[in-house]
Amino acid sequence: MDIDVFDALADPTRRRVVAALRHGERQVNDLVAAVGIHQSGVSRHLRILSEAGFVTMRPDGQRRLYSLAPGPFREIDEWLAQYRALWEKRLDRFGAALEARQAQQDQARSEEE
Amino acid sequence: MTDQIQSSIVIERSYAADREALWALWTTKDGFESWWGPEGFRADVREIEAQPDGALHYAMVADAPDMVAAMKQMGQPTSTECKGRFSEFRPYDRLVLTQIIDFLPGVQPYDSTIEVDFIPAAEGKVRMIVTLHQMHDAKMTQMQRMGFTSQLTKLDKRFGWTG
Repeated sequence: MDIDVFDALADPTRRRVVAALRHGERQVNDLVAAVGIHQSGVSRHLRILSEAGFVTMRPDGQRRLYSLAPGPFREIDEWLAQYRALWEKRLDRFGAALEARQAQQDQARSEEE
Repeated sequence: MTDQIQSSIVIERSYAADREALWALWTTKDGFESWWGPEGFRADVREIEAQPDGALHYAMVADAPDMVAAMKQMGQPTSTECKGRFSEFRPYDRLVLTQIIDFLPGVQPYDSTIEVDFIPAAEGKVRMIVTLHQMHDAKMTQMQRMGFTSQLTKLDKRFGWTG
């Protein structure tokens, strides 16, 4: 199943799961305590987050340890960067417009003198 | 709100100018039209009320020939009305522009908020801090998959100037 990164994060409980994983590897039980929902719910959200690439799991003996993977965060970053780039260009124009305005005012002032 | 994500971007610039000059570029017809753009577009201000809760209504008009052609090819109008208001208006200090984004095909209308803070700095400079907040509808991600967004981004338009 193809899950979009934004769909994956649109759910507030999944965002809590992601937040709980920020401090490093966690077992499901730890996440149950941190997120405050039943284990079946945590497992379901972990599966969705895994499918979207946010979370990876590694077995450690009997334990299954979940942690965050960087891929989708990079994707979100790049997506936001597009907006940033557009605004950087817009503010370049803002600066140019400001200079033009000041030059105009300086000229008007010197003509008055 | 489970189907929406808020994103914020902060951009800061510093200008050797007085705050009144910067303020005028945001709150007067001539000022706003002189830079809002984006590339290939011009903003025609229909109404600008420089006061708290004042209206800002403008049209984004494709005016570069290649942009006009690109918009037509994509089946998009070459002019789009955009309505917003100054939800905060504290002269020379702080401005918040809230716009209703209601023209993106397949996307529920949502608010886009642009906060602008003007802060005096050393050597007669002014720091201008622009904070962009947007609520992204989950549906927008579908358009992304269709390549709609990347097309728009390439053209430096629509999404860009919605802030």
